[in-house]
This record gives sequence, structure tokens and C-alpha cells, in this order.
Amino acid sequence: MTDNGKFTDERFQLTDEKTAIALDVLRKRLNRQLDAALEVCVRCGLCADSCHYYVANPKPEHVPAFRAEQLRKVYRRYFDPIGKLAPGWVGAAELDQEMVEKLINAAFGTCTMCGRCVINCPMGVDTRQIIRTARAMLTAIDMTPEGLKATVNVHLEAGNNMGVSEEDFVETLEWMEEELRAELGDASIKIPINKPHARVVYTFNPREVKYFPYLIQAAAKIFNAAGEDWTLSTESWDATNYGLFSGDDEASRKIASNLEAAINHLGADVLVMAECGHGYRSQRWEAENWLGRAYPFKVMSFVELQAQYIRDGRIRLDASVNPKRVTYHDPCNQARNGGIIDEPRYILKHAVMDFVEMEPHGAENFCCGGGGGMLSMTEFAKDRIAAGKVKADQILATGAEIVATSCHNCLDQLDEIRRHYKLKVKIQNLSELVAAAIIWPRQSGE
Amino acid sequence: MAANWIWITRWIAVIGLAIGALGIISRLQAILSRPFKQDLARPRGSIRRGVLYAFTLGMAPWEKESTRLHWLAYFRGIFFHLGVFAAFAVLFASPWLAAAPGWLLWVARIFTGAGAVFGVAGIPMRWIGENERNLSTPDDYFAVLLTSIFTALAFGVLVEAALLPIFYLATALLAIYIPFGKIRHCVYFFFSKFFFGLTFGRRGVIGQPDAS
Repeated sequence: MTDNGKFTDERFQLTDEKTAIALDVLRKRLNRQLDAALEVCVRCGLCADSCHYYVANPKPEHVPAFRAEQLRKVYRRYFDPIGKLAPGWVGAAELDQEMVEKLINAAFGTCTMCGRCVINCPMGVDTRQIIRTARAMLTAIDMTPEGLKATVNVHLEAGNNMGVSEEDFVETLEWMEEELRAELGDASIKIPINKPHARVVYTFNPREVKYFPYLIQAAAKIFNAAGEDWTLSTESWDATNYGLFSGDDEASRKIASNLEAAINHLGADVLVMAECGHGYRSQRWEAENWLGRAYPFKVMSFVELQAQYIRDGRIRLDASVNPKRVTYHDPCNQARNGGIIDEPRYILKHAVMDFVEMEPHGAENFCCGGGGGMLSMTEFAKDRIAAGKVKADQILATGAEIVATSCHNCLDQLDEIRRHYKLKVKIQNLSELVAAAIIWPRQSGE
Repeated sequence: MAANWIWITRWIAVIGLAIGALGIISRLQAILSRPFKQDLARPRGSIRRGVLYAFTLGMAPWEKESTRLHWLAYFRGIFFHLGVFAAFAVLFASPWLAAAPGWLLWVARIFTGAGAVFGVAGIPMRWIGENERNLSTPDDYFAVLLTSIFTALAFGVLVEAALLPIFYLATALLAIYIPFGKIRHCVYFFFSKFFFGLTFGRRGVIGQPDAS
């Protein structure tokens, strides 16, 4: 069915009923913002070089406008009078099997919805929104790639996207509490669970619980060093929300509302999202819109909180602990799509000896290729790794030995890039570097 | 006889412009009838600054990587559009062109002449560039050709007043086509830029102090 022949399953066959459902999704999602994004493109192609897929493999199918054009063709055919009357003249096209295949490849296969083309478009076209709409249409007719579909379903069924049981979660936390006590020789260290009216509730990416528990330890060390009134919830603790990537607003809403309920039950003031790019974007910028109501609590990223702790003198760092050259990869969902640009730099300037920027960086940074749920869609892994060449070149040019980031999908993709392109770098979370550099109060005589 | 032609074609232009305006109003009505997606998330940056940036500095050639890399295409577009705006100025001033000061006519000639050249240049550029060719529809070529002819005729009128009736006919054709083809981006541009400024300003990504 697709270029790589992976979508031959019956569920990827279009029927009249599926066509009607997909078009209905498009109809319902057509608000002013989407209408403008679909109408305004002048097909100048200036967005091409803003896409890491295009830079790594410059072919017309990798131009962001080309991807968005697939949905525009459908929009014109069914929603624009000229597209209905003279489809050939304005490039309108039926939503048929061939178009569905093009949409799958464009929306799921070669776009991470990173938004770099949006920032670079002279017309301000929001291609992210167009791609997410295409994904929503495909998801509504059960044409989501298997891995992404499963990730969303597991989250809905088990309460977290890796199916971690409450027992395993609590055991991991207890284990990390013991480890941290042993590391610091301080029996008063706590990882509080379900503490009512704590100021802060912290969330995790399930990967931390399952594969990277040392990141839980790092976060706990930072919270304890800052003397924070914090807790974790067993009711809902997963920071991720792959509904953002599948385009399924109903699933997104359900996942977000579970977390909202947990925070409300604990009566916390602040929900702090783990270093997870899309998790932050989902809860900070999208969730309230999915739910149709404003949260009574504040949502912030752990990156913002760490910067605040340093600024307020609540944690003190010894940068000499991290003497190697460090560069920072801005996760698209935190920087370009969330405005967290200065904070990681502020942190690194205090936590490491030698910080160097990769070029470009900040809002203009290139996506590493791990966004958009790409890591869950193994069908497109080859293209994902190929597109990662842009990031590999960026890293190489810095001469850094450590690449810091603050997103799990970025962390995984950067690690794959490191192995594939044989980069002699270590990939680390921001909190790991901070935790290592903390001057523990007892050591400083406090 | 010539005066009659001017009078008749001028009215054809007026009717064409009226039809075009109705089409644009209909397009505006269509987009405004759609729901506006409210953003309930607490702002991180200034929305006002974001929108201001989107319509001002954000359009400067040095502000975006895309326009820094493709400066030729950017400036072609800028001069083409300046030419089109100048051509409309010529159109609305056409009954009184004889009374216009000479220097103003020269300025208008430069803008419309350059606009027409840069407009027509867009056709081969679109055809030669593999990406642009793949993206293009017949409407893309027709729209740029029609607008370039209109701009060229505005220049022509400033050189030879006898071209006025043809200019008026081209005006009618262009005006009627605007709401139907890609030229209607002139309507959606303002919405798109506003939403861009709104979204990324709210998130503190663009137009903020110390932000690019």
C-alpha cells in the first residue's frame, strides 16, 4: 500500500463508509484557523529547507507544502466551489485509496509536526494543524499505524502508555528512594506518594519507570535539594499523551482529563511535567482546549522549575562536576511550540563548564526526527534515521561530548542517531546534569 | 470613438471590480462563519507583541531562514506585489492621470514596470524549480500571468494612454478571477498572519523581548 509496502492490512482499505467518516472529521474540524491554513498557501516552496526530511533527502515529496497539499486537494474537492466545478484547474482530488495512501505517507510517515516550516513560512501557514487534521481523519477510519495506535490504546486502558502496574510504579519509587538515601547518606530523603495538598505534583514518562529509573532519582534529588513540597500520584502519573500525535481529540481529552482529575484530587497548585516535549505541550498548551475548560492549577515544565530553583537560590550547583563540552538540543514541543528557550540555557550555564550552542538553535532548531510519535511507528524508521542526518551534522559541528536535551522521544532518537552515525557523544537529560552538579546542603555545611 | 471606448470599458472594469468585491465578501463571510478556536491555555508571552511581529518585523527578509536562503524568490515576490499595488493605484487614479505630477508618474512607471517583469519571471521560476513545479496547478500559472498582464498594462497606460481600454478590460478579468483562484490568498493572508502571531506570541516564541 505505501512506498515501503507496510500497510497491506485490510483495515487500510478505503470503503464508502470510511470516506464519509473521514470527510465528516474534516468538516467538523474546519475552524477559522484551519480554513486560513488550507487557503493561504501560494505554493512557493520556500518551506522546503526548513524540513529536516527535505534537507537530508531533498525530493519534492519532502517539501512541507507538498504534504499539506495532499489534504488541501481533498479540501478543495469537497469544500471549495471551484474545486468541485473544475478540480483539475485548482488541483482538487477525490479522497480515494490512492489519496489515502498519500495522506498516510505525508501525515504519519514523513512529518513530525515540529512546526519549523510554520516559523519559516512567509505566509504563516500552520502546516502542523493541517497534518494533525489529516492524522485525525485517518485515525477516525482506523488507519493509524499500528505502533501509534497501540500506544494510545494502552494508555487509555492501563492509565499509562507502557502498561506499568501501580505495584511496579510504587516499587520503583521506593527503590529509587532507597538509592537516593544511600547516595546522599541522608535518611530523611523522601519520594512522597499521594500527599494531599502538596504544592507540586510531578509526572513521569513511563520509560523512566521501566528503563531509566535513574531519572526518577535525579528528579527526586533536585526536589529534595530545593526543599520542595512535592508529591507523585498513583492515580495518574504518565506525562505523555500520544493522542496529540494520532490526532484523536477524544483520546487526547480522556488522557488529559485523567491527569487533571488526579491533580484536583490531591489539591495541588502546580502540575510539573517531566522532561517530555510532547507531554509538556499536550498538558501546557493543548489539554485545556481539548477539555474545553481552564485548569484550576498551573502547568509547567520541569525545565522551567529547575531554572527557577537556580534563580531563587533553592539549589546550588557546582559546574566543575560536568567539565565536558555540552551542547543542547531544543525539543520542538518545548522550544518552538512552547517558548521554553532561555531556561535550559540558564540551567546549563550554571550546571556545566563548557556549553556550546548548536546552529541553528532555539525556535529555529532542527527536529531530531523523534517527534510526532515517529518512534512508535517502526514502519517509517528508515526514513526517520535518514532524516536524523541533519541533527548528526549539527551535533558534530559543535565538537561537544555531551548532548543534553529535555525530552524522552528526543533522547531515544538522539541515541539512535549517535549509534547510526557513529557520533562520539553521550546523550543526557538536563536533570541528570543538574542532579550531578547539586551541592548537597550537608556538603556545604547547611 | 476613443472616448466612448474608455467610458464603456471603464464601466466594465467597475462591474468586474464589483463582482470581485462580492466574491471576496462571500469568501470573508465563509471563513468568518466558521468557529474561532479559543485558546484556554494561560499565555506565556504577549499576544499583542506576537501579532505585531507577524505583520511587521516577522516579514523582514532576515528574520526567517527560508527568506535568508531564498532571497531571490523573496525579493521577486516583494517587487511583484509592490507592482500590483502600484497598478491598482494607477487604476483608481486613471481618470485623473493627466493631472498627475511627472515625478509621480515616473515612480509609478518604475514600480509597475518592475512588478510586471518580476511577475512574469515567476512563471519560468515556478516551472524550472522541481519543487515548485510539483506543487503547481494550472491556476498557479494563470493567476501569476493574469496579474502580471494587469501590472504590465498599468505600466503601458503610463507610457501610452491609448492602452487604457485594454487595461480596464484586464482589470475586470482580474477582479472577477480573484475570489475563485489562488489570488484569493490576499484575503486569507491577514487571517493566517494574525493566527500565526496569536499562537506563537501567546506561547512566547515570537515578538517577545529577547525572543527572535
